[in-house]
This record gives sequence, C-alpha cells and structure tokens, in this order.
Amino acid sequence: MALKGLDIFKITPKTNCKDCGNPTCMAFAMKVAQGAIALDKCPHLSDEVKAQLSEATAPPMKTIKLGVGAEEHTLGGETVLARHEKTFVSKNLFAFTVGDAMSDEANEAAFASTVVDYERIGERMYVELINVKFGGDSARYLELVKRAAGLGRTLILSVSDAAVAKEALELTKGTRPLLNGASAANAAEMAALAKEYAALLGVSAANLDELYDTVAEIEKTGFKDLVLDVSSASAGEAFADAVQIRRAALKNNDRTFGYPSLVDVGAIAPGDEDMQCALAALFTVKYGSIVVMEKMSYASALPLYGLRQNIFTDPQKPMRVEPGIYPLNGADENSVCAITVDFALTYFVVSGEMERSGVPVNLLISDAGGYSVLTAWAAGKFSASSIAKFINEEVAPKVKSRTLILPGKVAVLQGEVAEKLPDWKVVVGTREAIELVKFLKEM
Amino acid sequence: MSALTDLIYGGANAVAGLTEGAVNDAIAKYGEQKEVAFPDTAYFLPTIYAATGVKVTKLGDLPACVGVLKSLISGKEDLGEALNAGLATAVGAEIIEALKYVESADPYAGDSGIGFVPDPIIRSLGVPLVTGDIPGVAVMLGKADDAALVSEIIKGYQTRGILTFLVGDIIEQAIENGVKMGLDFRVVPLGHDVTSVTHVVTVAIRAALIFGAVTPGDLPTLLAYTKERVPAFVNAFGALDAVTVSAGAGAIALGFPVIVDSDLGDIQVPGALESVTDLTKTVAHSLELRNIKIKIREIPIPVAFASAFEGEIIRRGDMHVQFNSTRKPTCELVVMKDAADIEDHKITIIGSDVDTVTAPADMSLGVLIEVCGEKMQVDFEPVIERKLHYWYNYMEGVMHTGQRNLINVRISKEAFEKGLRLKDFGEVIWCEIMDEFASVVDKCQVTLITDEAKVVELRDSVAMPRYDERDARLAGLTDESVDTFYTCILCQSFAPSHCCVVTPERLGLCGAVSWLDAKATKELTPTGPCQPIPKEGCTDERLGKYTAVDEAVSQATQGAVSSVTLYSILEDPMTSCGCFECICGIIPEANGVVIVNREYKGMTPTGMTFGELASMTGGGVQTPGFMGHGRHFISSKKFISAEGGIERIVWMPKELKDSVGDKLNKTAKELFGADNFIDMIGDETVATDSETLLAFLTEKNHPALGMDPIM
Amino acid sequence: MPFKRTPQKFNAAINAMTLGTGDNAVTIGGASVLPLYSFDGDIGNAPKIGVEISDLGLEGECVGMTEFYAGASTPAEMAAKAEKMPGADFVCLRLEGADPNGHNRSVEECVEIAKAVAGAISLPLVIEGCKNNEKDAELFEKIAAALEGKNVLFLSAKEENHKSVGAAVGLAYAQKVGAESSVDINLAKQLNVLLTQLGVKAENIAMNLGSAAAGYGFEYVASTMDRVKAAALGQNDAMLQMPVITPVASEAWSVKEAMVDEADFPEWGPQEDRGVRMEIATAAACLACGSDAVILKHPRSVATISAMVAALK
Repeated sequence: MALKGLDIFKITPKTNCKDCGNPTCMAFAMKVAQGAIALDKCPHLSDEVKAQLSEATAPPMKTIKLGVGAEEHTLGGETVLARHEKTFVSKNLFAFTVGDAMSDEANEAAFASTVVDYERIGERMYVELINVKFGGDSARYLELVKRAAGLGRTLILSVSDAAVAKEALELTKGTRPLLNGASAANAAEMAALAKEYAALLGVSAANLDELYDTVAEIEKTGFKDLVLDVSSASAGEAFADAVQIRRAALKNNDRTFGYPSLVDVGAIAPGDEDMQCALAALFTVKYGSIVVMEKMSYASALPLYGLRQNIFTDPQKPMRVEPGIYPLNGADENSVCAITVDFALTYFVVSGEMERSGVPVNLLISDAGGYSVLTAWAAGKFSASSIAKFINEEVAPKVKSRTLILPGKVAVLQGEVAEKLPDWKVVVGTREAIELVKFLKEM
Repeated sequence: MSALTDLIYGGANAVAGLTEGAVNDAIAKYGEQKEVAFPDTAYFLPTIYAATGVKVTKLGDLPACVGVLKSLISGKEDLGEALNAGLATAVGAEIIEALKYVESADPYAGDSGIGFVPDPIIRSLGVPLVTGDIPGVAVMLGKADDAALVSEIIKGYQTRGILTFLVGDIIEQAIENGVKMGLDFRVVPLGHDVTSVTHVVTVAIRAALIFGAVTPGDLPTLLAYTKERVPAFVNAFGALDAVTVSAGAGAIALGFPVIVDSDLGDIQVPGALESVTDLTKTVAHSLELRNIKIKIREIPIPVAFASAFEGEIIRRGDMHVQFNSTRKPTCELVVMKDAADIEDHKITIIGSDVDTVTAPADMSLGVLIEVCGEKMQVDFEPVIERKLHYWYNYMEGVMHTGQRNLINVRISKEAFEKGLRLKDFGEVIWCEIMDEFASVVDKCQVTLITDEAKVVELRDSVAMPRYDERDARLAGLTDESVDTFYTCILCQSFAPSHCCVVTPERLGLCGAVSWLDAKATKELTPTGPCQPIPKEGCTDERLGKYTAVDEAVSQATQGAVSSVTLYSILEDPMTSCGCFECICGIIPEANGVVIVNREYKGMTPTGMTFGELASMTGGGVQTPGFMGHGRHFISSKKFISAEGGIERIVWMPKELKDSVGDKLNKTAKELFGADNFIDMIGDETVATDSETLLAFLTEKNHPALGMDPIM
Repeated sequence: MPFKRTPQKFNAAINAMTLGTGDNAVTIGGASVLPLYSFDGDIGNAPKIGVEISDLGLEGECVGMTEFYAGASTPAEMAAKAEKMPGADFVCLRLEGADPNGHNRSVEECVEIAKAVAGAISLPLVIEGCKNNEKDAELFEKIAAALEGKNVLFLSAKEENHKSVGAAVGLAYAQKVGAESSVDINLAKQLNVLLTQLGVKAENIAMNLGSAAAGYGFEYVASTMDRVKAAALGQNDAMLQMPVITPVASEAWSVKEAMVDEADFPEWGPQEDRGVRMEIATAAACLACGSDAVILKHPRSVATISAMVAALK
C-alpha cells in the first residue's frame, strides 16, 4: 500500500524552500504519493528518512525503458490489477519473429509485418519490436540481427548462447535491446552481458519456482532491468504464470516478480494466426507486457491495437478524436452537416451508424474536452456559443450546405444555436446513435 | 357488523350444504374413482390445490375437501373469521363447478359464458397484467336495474384496458347494449350461476402459482400475492342474497374490494366492501379503491410533444400570447392534498382562454396543481414543480422559463392556430405527472387561472406562503433532524469506487443532488442510484462516523472504500468522483484549509492549482487532507467540523468568497461570534503563496492561527 | 526459496445456469475464482460458445460462411449445420428480420422460424431479438410459448421491456431470461433487482452486460465485467452473480475494420480475415474479462475460441 500524501508531508522539512521545484512541501509530498516525482528530489531529507521511506514509496512493479530515442518504450510500472482501480500505465508491445532456423520465405513474410503502420486516435500503430531468434547458425543469425536493426525498431535478441549474444549486442550497441536468454544455467553470465551493453534481460525457467529463484539470483548482482519470459508450450501455463507473476507483485508486494512479462504466442500456436490473434488479445487484457507473434498483418493488428488502445486508456482521461470535418459516405461540400463531440467513443458510434445509413454526411467534431455529449454540455464545453464559433470559423468557409443536425440530447440548444447561426437550418437529431440510420434516410 | 357476518355465514353454510350434497350425489352416481378435472390445466382444482396443496383428481378426494371447507366456517363474530367462511364459499363453488365437468365434457356449451379458463389463456394474460398493459381486472356479477348504465360501466373499463369478467344476467344486459365480448375485447362472460365466479377466482389463484411462484399449500403467501399483485375488484349488482355476499367475502379475503350498487349503510367496510349507488361513479371509485392507474399512451393535444422541442425559442414577433411575470401576475404551484379533495384528471380553467386575445398579447396565469398519493410527500412538491419547465418546453410552439412566481410562458402563433389552448397545458401537466411520478402520485387535478384578480389571490395567499414554507424547511433541515441519509452513485460510471453520502447539510459534491433530491429519487426510482442509509450506529459524533454509513459505502463501492466520515477531512474523508464544485485542502503552515472552486484557474497557497488538486482528489480515492464538495457545504456548521469547522478556512478565490460570503458570515457569527469573518479569509488578490497568506492572516488575527495544530 | 503462491479464492460463486434439456443440455457459469483462473480453483463450467445464425440467412456473408452453410436455404437448415460446427456448444437464432425499421417480419413468421430451428437441432437454443424493445417483447412472448419446455435463453430483457419479457419468458413459460444493460455495473444490478422483484428467479437470469468490438470502447466492457466479477465473488453480491453471456458476432462484424471491401482498403487485405480476427480478438478479450459464454458466427472463430478455452481449462 502506497503512502498517503500526508504521511510523506510529515517527514518533509515543511520549509517550503522550493529546492525540489515545487512551491510547497505539501505539493511535493502529494506528488511523491502519486508517484509523479521521486522522493530524492528533496535535498533536505536525511539518508535515514530516505531509506525508511524508499521502501514504502517504491513502486511494486519496476518501470523499465526499452529502446532509445524515438523508439524508447516504457514497460511495467503498473500499480493495479484492474484498470478501473486507477489506470494501466504501460501499454503492451508487440513483436514479430525472424530467425536463422526459419526459411527465407518465412523470414520475408515476417519482415513484411513492418507494412502495418498507421495512426489511430493520435497513436502510431506498428510492431514496435522484432524478435530475432537464434537457432544454431550464428552467421545467419547475426545477418538477421543486422537487417532487423536497420528497420528502426527495437530488437529482442532471443539467444541463450553467451558468445553469440555478445556479438549480437555488439551489433545493436546503444539501442537498449532486450536480451532474452537468461535461465538458471547462465544467469550470471547473461546478466553481466546485459549490464555491459545496457540491455534489458529476459529471464525464463521451467516453472515459476525456478523463475523466482533465478530472478532473485540475478537481483543479487544488482542488475534489475529484467523481463520475465512466461512463454510455454501451453497457453494455459503461460496465462497462469503471467497472472500469478503480476498478482504477486501488485497484490502481495512480492518485488522479486515486480517486472514486466513476455509471452511468445507464436511459439504456443505456430502457424495458426487465428489462435495467435486470440492469445494476443488474451494477454493484452491480462498481463502480457510484450506479446511476441510470428508475424503481424492488418487483419490481426486492427483489432489488437484497437483493443490495446482501449485497455490502456486512463479511465479519467477519455480518448479524444481530432476536431474537424469528417466527410462520410462520400459527402461533399453540399452534404448536410451533423455535429457532435470529440469523445472517441461517441465519434466511433456515431460515425459507424452514419456509415451504415449510406447517406452522405459531413460529421463535424467539435472540441468538447473529450467528454460525451451530455457531460460536455453540462460542463459548458458543448454550448451554443462553442458550436457557433466552431461552425463560423472552421466549417462555414469549407462547406456550402447550411443544414446542421444537433445531437438529440442537446435539443435544448436548438433555439440558441439557430439564433447564433441565422443562415443555418438547425435540426434536432436523434437521442441515440442507433436511431440515426432511419433518421438520415428519412431526412 | 353482525348483519354482515350473519349474511356471510348464512351463505357459506348454504353453499357448504349444497356442495356436500352434490359431492355425495356424484359419488353415488359415478363412484369414488371417477375422474374430476377442469379442462386444460396443470393445477387440478386450483383453489383447493393452492390453498391446501391437495391434488384432487377423483371424486373420492372431494369429501375430505368438503370437511376442510366446513372447518373454515367458524361462525365466530369476527370479520376475519367471516372472510375465511367466504373462502369456504369459493372452495364450495369450485367443487360444484368441477362437478359440472364430470357431468359433461363441455357443460358451458349452452351458456353464453365460457366457464373454466384454461391455463394457456392465463399465461397469455399474465404478461399484460404484469406490465400494466391490462391495468386491472373487474369482476361484475348479478343483474343491474338499468342495463344501459351497467353497460356503460363495462365500456368504461374496456376503454381503460381493464379485463372484465361477467357473471349472471349482466351478460345479456351487456349484449343487448352492444358491448363487444371476447378476450380480444377484454370482456369475458363466465356463466350465469353465481358459482361460476369461481372461474375468475382460479384465474387469480393460478396467476399466483404461475407468476408468483407461490408454493401450493402456502395460503398466507397466496393471499398476500393476490392482494398485492392481482389488481382485481368486484362490482355486484342487484339484490344481494347470502350466497352472493359470502362469495364477496371470499373476494375480500383474496384482497379484492367489493362495490355494490345497493346502499349497505353501516355494514360497509371501508376499502373492502363499499356502496356506490350512482352507477356513473362506479368506474372511478372502483379504480381508486384498488389504486389502479391507467397508462397514458399519447397526450391528446394539437401540437407535438417531444424533448426535441426543448430548445425552441419563440420570438416576440412569432408569439400569440405570453404570460410574463414582469408584466402580469403569474405563479406555478404544486401542492399535496388529501385524496378526498381531488378529482382525478379534472382540468379547470378560470378566466378567459387564449382565443379571446389577439397577438401579441399579455395575460395572467396562475397554475395550481393539486396531487395526492399514498407515497406522496410534501417534500416532493418542488421536485414535481421543477419538471413543469421541461414539460412546457416539450410542447411544440411553447416556450417556458423560470419557476414559481417568476416565469415567462409563450405560445407561438403557429401553435395557437393548430388549436393549442389552456386545457392542453392541463392535459400535458396531468399526463406527465401521472406518467413520470406514477410511483408517488395517485390523483391529480389542474387549475389554470387567467382572471387577474384570482391569480393575484392564488399567488399571494397560497403560493407565496408555500414557497416561504419550503425555503424555511430547507434552511431548517439539519443532519440531526432526520433519521436517514442517502447514497448517490450516479458518477460510478467514471469513478467506480466513489459513493456520495448525501445528508441535509452535506449535499452531493457536484452541488446538484440535495438530500431532498436524493429522497425523491429513491421514491421515484426505488432501485436507482440513491439508496437510504439509516442513521444508525454512530461511533464517533465528532467525525460523523456511522457503522450504517460504512456498510452502505462499502456495499456501493464493491468494497473499494470501507469507511468514510461525514465531517472530517483528515480521517477517512469522503471520496470524490471528479465532478466536485470545490476542493478543500489543508495548508498546515496556516493551520487551516484553503477552498478552491472549479472556475478558478490560478495558483493556490497550497502550491497546487485546482487541476493538480483534482487529479489527486478525484477518481474515488480517499486522500486525507483533501476532499471535493459542493459550494453549499461551505457555510454549513458541519463543514470539516471534526477539525474545527469553518474557522479553519483561510483562503478562497474572490469569486467564491463573494458567492458564499453572506452565509458564511452568518454561520461564523453563530458559531464563534465573529463579525465579517469573510474579510479575514485571504484570496488571490492578497496571496497565492503561503508566506504572504500567513502574513495576511496574522495581520487579520485569523482565528485558525490560534487553534490546535490541524495535524 | 520457492515462489509463494497465493490463490485468490472466494466464498461465493457465479450461478450455474443450464440451457436446453436432457443429454444435450449445456451449463454455463459456476466459477468461484476470477475468469479463467483455473490455477486458483474451480472455474465451474468452462466458457461455452454459441453459433449465431440469422433469420435473414446469409445475406452479405463472406465466402467462409457461405461455404460452410452451402446447401442450407432456411434458418432450420442452417441451424442443423451450425450445431455441427466444430466447437459449437449451443445455437443462437438472431431474429434480425423482425426489426420494424427493417424487414419487419411478423411475429407469427418468427415463431414458425424459431419452431423450425428448435426442431432441427439437439443442442440448446438461444433466441436473440431484433433490438426493438416493443417488438422483442411480443416476439419473445410468443416464441417462449411455442418452445415451452425447451429451456431456451432469450436475449434480452432490457430495462424498457423487462416486465413483459420477464413475465412471459421467465414466469409464464419458465424459460431463461437474458438481462441486457449497457456497460454499467449499477444498471446491470438494477435490472437484475427489477427482474427478481418481478418474480423471475435469480438462477434463471443471465446477464448481457453490453458488448463492444475491440477498439470500440471495449475499455467499458472490460471494466464493467471486472467490477461485476469482483462484486459477485468478493462481495458475494447475489444480484451480480448471474453468468455473463456476450453476443460478439453482431458487434465484431459491424465495425468498419470488419466490413469494408478490400478494394477500398487494399493494404488491409482480405475482408474475411479482418472480420474473423475482429471476432476472435473481441471474443478472447471478453472471455478474459469474464464472459461465461460468447456468441460467434464464423467457423474459424468458433474453432479458434473453443481451442483456446480448452487450452485454458
């Protein structure tokens, strides 16, 4: 259980010296409690106090950076088991797999996963990681590492042979890859390598007990940038391990398991893309930090990335779409306009129903702070003036139609909007999106 | 009373004798093994089966039933006992009717009635009964003096969707007067013998078995079900013989009131057995007695009625007439009355209607809406009154603003031309009250006054005093003066672990849900977001800690929050969803608290802005030292009273100070005798950092500085 | 030092509900641990999969579907094939055609279709309406009567029509009632309370908590299910212990990603693959969050999800 802000405040100097960059000690304490700032930002705390508190304020799951620069990704740092308790913070990453034991065709097919690259609600959707798997042919392996490293993504080096690993790390120096190859047999050696090359280290074991001991062993060396590989031949075991590891860390405060996890669903269901998609969804919802697949296609990416975006949305910060004009069903400047808010879910539901109607409509998304229609209206972010301003500034110059459909739930705005937009015909639409098809067809 | 019980016992004994004889005759004729059953039912002889659990299948089973029947007739001088004898009559009637089916496979072939009602029909009737599509069941028996009048009663039920069963010569009387019959027309003739009334009794009883899952043999549950869930009543016509009276007693035992057309004088039993000699009043009185409400399907007005018209604006040039408080006297008032003082759906217009003026006109308007209901409370009057605004605006071509004696209502020329008149306002108000407030309002009448003098009279002598009373009640409501608090979990969709505890002095933190609102919400939506918390188990008066509150909060948050206090900011403070009007946070340097409202964008002396404070206070987490609340709470004597109350307030944004200043001063004066306390409180024009604030407080000698350390 | 396992056990369980009758009956629910946590304890009955067919036949369906149902021209013929689909546990007849704003098929016609379908299969049957509250109420009453004794689940009773659906389906004809709310734990609970107050027994109610395709507000589905399961098991809240059934197919196949032609979005690849994966990903996510049964339609989805459930048992 994290400390409350007031408990932290009590041990601050209470001088409001601002040396930590905050105006007051209270503000500092509250931010530490939220995990937004580290305790050691206060230069006036005694080492004794710091030591006493660092244990209590340390997050139950380590936050680890993978990759560098634009390709830097955050893993771990979760504090809750269910998103409604607070929020999930680090979205899971996806990887596709190439390897020296695979045929050229298979490798080419896997490399083709890089075509998946698109934007959805302000987020770039692509396969962030490439898993390069060692199968015995080191020359071919290193060639693949080189090629993969040239693609501007971070690598997972799945290799347990220390010599080959060293060469691969040499090729990827400075990119902070994940060296996924530590086990009870080679823990010390691999940890030393990972440390030397500033890589993350993936640890695997035959079972959770062995994994637990191996992690404890590696931690003793002081190296803690770990990822726990729960891959197994069985989906059931992998799932059981992923859940139990995350639960041990967050619920039972067992920091030995306070690390992100990796699961190779490609290895669980080789050649079965449908099953890999199913398992990837499962591990996106429950506790897979890195999900490795054989390859990624749009067919799998579209649902999986959408799901991930949903699951990792902060419950208190709803997803927003970009305000603007969205022509649907081939709408042009003469097509009617329908306005709604920029809450992503509203946009999806409304645009989906409008598309179903087949009627050309200019869907206007106004800046309403990301709230739903009624919430935005109540908060004054979707008002007659905000609508009129948006229409006059953004829409009127681009669209010739002068018919505007308002959401039925804000029928109360009709008169006022009509008054503010005298040359527009302001129509009250339906209360529910599902009624839109009929409404638009009959308009 | 004895006259009534005598009649019941007399009838019951007569039926018992008849039954016993008939059973013996049948056994003599067919033998004990002869099967006895009603057609197409899985419930044997339903009354006997439901009441005793006995499955009668052959004649030999019946003598035991006759024994039970007789044992129900105690002859004691007690109405309850006499009603049991009425049940005996029902059992007897059932046996006699069952024997008809032994004699013939279709004993009703030659009758205009249908006799026994098979199970499938009951199953199909169950759904409309449960949904209120069939709002009630009328049983009409006997022969009326005036066939035309009684037929009007049947038609009256028919137009209200009520299912009517007919027994006796009334069937022919109805046919003669053109009453359409059959299940589709919801008028079902059963038979001519008074015993055929059993066929409607078994309908009610099987409804309890099928839809109420009542265990056969569990008589108390059965009677409770028929009383509470089967909205039936009996209308008896013509001379009353003992058998009819005792059958009526059976109906009363099942919870069905009986209305007769003869004057029973003092043997009437209010609510159970009443006389209505004026047959034009039978329908209304029967419905009222059984508390049957008719669902309104469409409001009969000449303009459209929908929320889509809510935002319509009617400009002066487009208006036919307006009722504007600044020009003419106006008022709107909902008052609760006794049931006897209200004639349901009565709409009265006093003064001239809107078709006597030419556009653009100004008229006076006083609207008096009188309601009554078993669950109606005076506290709900303003809740209903506030809805008037919406209902007016839902009418196409009508615009409404304001409330109480300060309103403006406009009717557009177009709406007027379509035929909209004052009575339509009455219709809308009546229909919407009966629909939306059905759970609390049983009857409603609306009076619309345009006569200026009479409006003034209504406003000054009725409405204004009532408004004042309400305001006084609101001001006088304290946490001590009530025995119930309420939860409010409206915001859980985005703050799952948040639950507001609404008390008279601490309204919901959004500022929108007062204790009265919560109370009304509970009555109107019994399973809704506001649930009552009995004010029980006070373990710490200072903190405002109650075991019942903790239980309710724990339940409402699925265990996420196990304990909240009502009056402390430091110990288990109430959680916040995110829609709070204000946030209060402690500032230990000043030994007090600052309060910041949502609208204030700048820095506060705590070193945090509203946004920063909100991010740590919202989301349903408990953050000791910080909490969200409504503006109204600030001037309450309960405001963080555990930490010393309002004396701790050291800083608020200027706008907030202006808005709560007067009330806060008053509370301060009462609590600690300070004059102009608000002037001792800092704001952004004085300080936005704690050092300057502290200097200001010292200069003003703010009382917080002299209090015990806040933490 | 071995890893200390701390299984999360509860003194409460999700209600087990049986659909259908006799040897082919199927039971859903019964878990006393969080969804799919078989390593913690008893998951009761592993999640079940329903195969959806529509009274509108195969209008606009992709090749995989038309090939599977080749030769079937009526809903009954389709149903006979559907119950043989590898992985199928029950059949779900969706009466889309009844929608008054669509084909407006009559109640009588729908009853005949339902009877024919029920007669053609031996697996349990679930009836899904057309989402029009009034029409569904009428439809369910008549179908519940026609299929009396078959122990059919009806999707769904909503707050607006719960009285008629509850009374007809749950009381008059003793069938199973699906209670549908829109992704909100309190609304779900309220509807269950209303239905039980009406007299429908809690054990005869299944919940459809509302669904969304992956990417389309699935976070609300996930959090609602998380909270419902937490309350049902952790708080022993009897009004939330009903098993959860989620119709996935209709949601998954109606989003843009699953619908648009390859010609319009060539880089996205074949439409059928996209639809199948949307259905699979959504179903897997629903099961992870707590669905005790999902309703799917494509043979590939049914095979994949049933294999996944088997692997997680």
